[in-house]
Amino acid sequence: MRSRLRPIDLFALSMRGLFARPFRAVLTSIGIGIGIAAIVAVIGISASGRAALLATLDDLGTNLLRVTPGAGIFGQAADVPEDAVAMVARIGPVEDVTGITIVDATVRRSDFVSKLDTGGLTVVSATPRLLEVIRGDVADGRFLEDGLKAVPVVVLGSTAAERLGIRSVVPAVRVLIGDEWFGVTGILESFPIHPDLDRTVFVSYESAATFLDGKPEPTAIYVRANPLSINDVAEVIPATVAPEAPDTVEITRPSDALVARKAADETLTSLLIGLGAVALLVAGVAIANIMVMSILERRMEIGVRRSLGATRRHIRLQFIVESMALAGFGGLAGVVLGAGITVGYAANRDVMVSIPMAGIAASVGAALALGALAGVYPAVRASRIDPAEAVRR
Amino acid sequence: MESANSNRPVVELSGVSKVYPGPPPVVALDSVDLVVSRGELVAIVGPSGSGKSTLLHVMGGLDRPTSGDVAIDGVDLGALNDKGISGLRAHSIGFVFQDFFLMEGVDAVNNVAEGLVYRGLGRRERRTRAVAALESVGLGHRLDHTPAQLSGGERQRVAIARALIGDPAIVFADEPTGNLDSATSDEIAELFTRLNAGGSTIVAITHDLEFAQRFPRMVSLRDGRTVL
Ligand SMILES: Nc1ncnc2c1ncn2[C@@H]1O[C@H](COP(=O)(O)OP(=O)(O)OP(=O)(O)O)[C@@H](O)[C@H]1O
Ligand SMILES: [Mg+2]
Repeated sequence: MRSRLRPIDLFALSMRGLFARPFRAVLTSIGIGIGIAAIVAVIGISASGRAALLATLDDLGTNLLRVTPGAGIFGQAADVPEDAVAMVARIGPVEDVTGITIVDATVRRSDFVSKLDTGGLTVVSATPRLLEVIRGDVADGRFLEDGLKAVPVVVLGSTAAERLGIRSVVPAVRVLIGDEWFGVTGILESFPIHPDLDRTVFVSYESAATFLDGKPEPTAIYVRANPLSINDVAEVIPATVAPEAPDTVEITRPSDALVARKAADETLTSLLIGLGAVALLVAGVAIANIMVMSILERRMEIGVRRSLGATRRHIRLQFIVESMALAGFGGLAGVVLGAGITVGYAANRDVMVSIPMAGIAASVGAALALGALAGVYPAVRASRIDPAEAVRR
Repeated sequence: MESANSNRPVVELSGVSKVYPGPPPVVALDSVDLVVSRGELVAIVGPSGSGKSTLLHVMGGLDRPTSGDVAIDGVDLGALNDKGISGLRAHSIGFVFQDFFLMEGVDAVNNVAEGLVYRGLGRRERRTRAVAALESVGLGHRLDHTPAQLSGGERQRVAIARALIGDPAIVFADEPTGNLDSATSDEIAELFTRLNAGGSTIVAITHDLEFAQRFPRMVSLRDGRTVL
């Protein structure tokens, strides 16, 4: 003659206990819900961001190098041969290469702005190849073209256009560079990995030479190389572009900046998940509290169950499962909320939604484990209630 | 069949004492010897504080005596651990309380069926037997009513059905009519008599002498001792 409680009855019992006080159950599980929602949203947003990053990197390629014959110790640029670009192009694995040269001039909307005021914008000579090499896009109009050559026209980076107050390409729009008026033939999309080029006004080398006293020596070179040999290419470039002072040559990989920024984001993500975990812990303590209170109120029920044959273990299990269900419902609601936040974020940022299933499973699992843990102490207390005492009126 | 053996003891107490360890210590039961045989209907009477509830709890294995021996249906409770006594309660013992102790918001059938939950029986069987138990206490027409929709007497019948559903060797009732008016008390007394005639062994505590006198046997308790 043994007491037996079937698992399905145990579950039903716990559910009944929960739904007997629905309002309290909801209030109690809100903490868990919010904690889980925060964690799921952070995981989801970070994963979506990562997906977006991978897409961007895929788009832009990680095989682009930016070469600057950097500033020497005293701030003067090293001498770069005029044909540096052609020499780099001769390196085997290099697929594409182009140079840009900073023009010593300021760009203004009109005479009323001082010639000394750069407005944070840089004037740069570029080749028509540039956009292709760095995989940029034109927002309006056209980029520099071979046919334009020595015509006084410019193309504006996105920030440059904004600062100059130019929203679209229309024939009447002109800007003043130095003392020359230039027409605007194009406005670029912003570059995710070349923020400096967003603040740039592009002219062709021919126009720069003709109107602005521009020089042919490149101040920066963009190199697109075979991804597998990218390191080898980086190694031979300094001697190629500045045989006299190879040490002053600086080579960066613009995509690295994006990866680094993401890594910083990732640190923040871990921090947020940590905060979410702390919130969960607090919520767990709240559950334990409410469960203890609920057990004090339910002494009579416990006494009756014991008189009907429940063992101490049955009582313990009932309250642990109830606590788990409480946390589990909170967790599920949290997952739904967190997923909703992620979807909203993704829609807003126009990135693909990516919510890792493992993350969801882990957070629901964490909620259940937390519920079980929070339920242990109350459940043990419940099981220790003296049945004879409990059924006394 | 064993029912032929109507003298077989269902409850045997010998030298049972219960001392609540104060301070000050209270001797609630003082060397009680009592035997209840199969098929008996026993009333336990006595003034408030005389130890009636304590006696019932000790007999039903809800509480342990400080000294002395308790056997239910031939099983010595002193030899059982808590789990074993729980098993005995699930199978051999039914309890009825003064305050009914039904689950609010749960209909009569399910309240009664709860009496079999700790036997591991399936839902359908529990339900079938709950309907039968409710019919046996005259509530066949109130199956779907919740406690709030039932009168006090009806609630107590539901509680009695819950105690009886597992066909226990003995049913203990602590002041089952304590919350009921005298007409309803009479009905409950009648029900007990009828159930007893049907084979149930019942021990009921009562304050109500009139109620007690309708029972074939009466045990009086005073200061934790049985008096004749
Ligand atoms: N947990 C306890 N601790 C100390 N004393 C207790 C405890 N429970 C009961 N008592 C005492 O034991 C004695 C017997 O109590 P019991 O409840 O058995 O009496 P009773 O006959 O059922 O009384 P009533 O008719 O009022 O229900 C009383 O003096 C009571 O105060
Ligand atoms: Mg009493």
